[in-house]
Amino acid sequence: MPSVSQSIRVKVLFFGRLKEIAGRAYESIDLPADANIESLFTHYANRHPELQQYRSSLVASCNQEFAPWNTVLHAGDEVAFLPPVSGG
Amino acid sequence: MAAPSPDITSLVHDPIDRDTLAAHVRGNEDGAIVIFDGFVRDHSKNRRTLYLEYEAYEPMALAKMQEIAAHLHNQFPIHRVAMVHRLGRLEIGETSVYIAVSAPHRAAAFDACRYAIDTLKRTVPIWKKEYFEDGSVWADGELPTVPSATSAVKPAS
Repeated sequence: MPSVSQSIRVKVLFFGRLKEIAGRAYESIDLPADANIESLFTHYANRHPELQQYRSSLVASCNQEFAPWNTVLHAGDEVAFLPPVSGG
Repeated sequence: MAAPSPDITSLVHDPIDRDTLAAHVRGNEDGAIVIFDGFVRDHSKNRRTLYLEYEAYEPMALAKMQEIAAHLHNQFPIHRVAMVHRLGRLEIGETSVYIAVSAPHRAAAFDACRYAIDTLKRTVPIWKKEYFEDGSVWADGELPTVPSATSAVKPAS
């Protein structure tokens, strides 16, 4: 039987103003095995409260594809938090 | 999926070589090339811009640009696409994005080029920061559409 205390390690990336608020471009983090993108963001919003105001105006990606907030994460996933894009 | 023709899609940190890209898409079977040359404006919302800095989620941005190019071939009777975005610090007047589309007939080239720049600005993870005499701001952008949550739910077994 798998242990209920299993954790997964994912890579998290921040861009634009999110990177400035988080104070880093990326990090690896250990999460509970049932973590999803929403709970991962909540973790960072708790650490950096200024992030919370951007929750409704950012999107996330998982493994370089846009992903909904309820996406369940797996070991080795690469998650990014992306502000509104402004290329061109 | 292999590109149906040798398109160019890239992110660069040096000035974009526009002439080479235009020449690359030009073929004897074509009758037209439409080019979008986006460059740095000297003002933004009545403030004088000093310069811009662009950053990207590079592997994802490149993948999204390749998706756009592939989509152009599916949607429009075109020949080749060159789509290049520059990153880093850009001065006033420097090209930030360059898209060239060749086609046998002009309508497809116009339509595809317009679709390409509009889609790039809406979906490719690139950001620009505008620097003014009295500070800097991240430019207002567009929030990409994300697949609905229901599509991410694991299928019932």
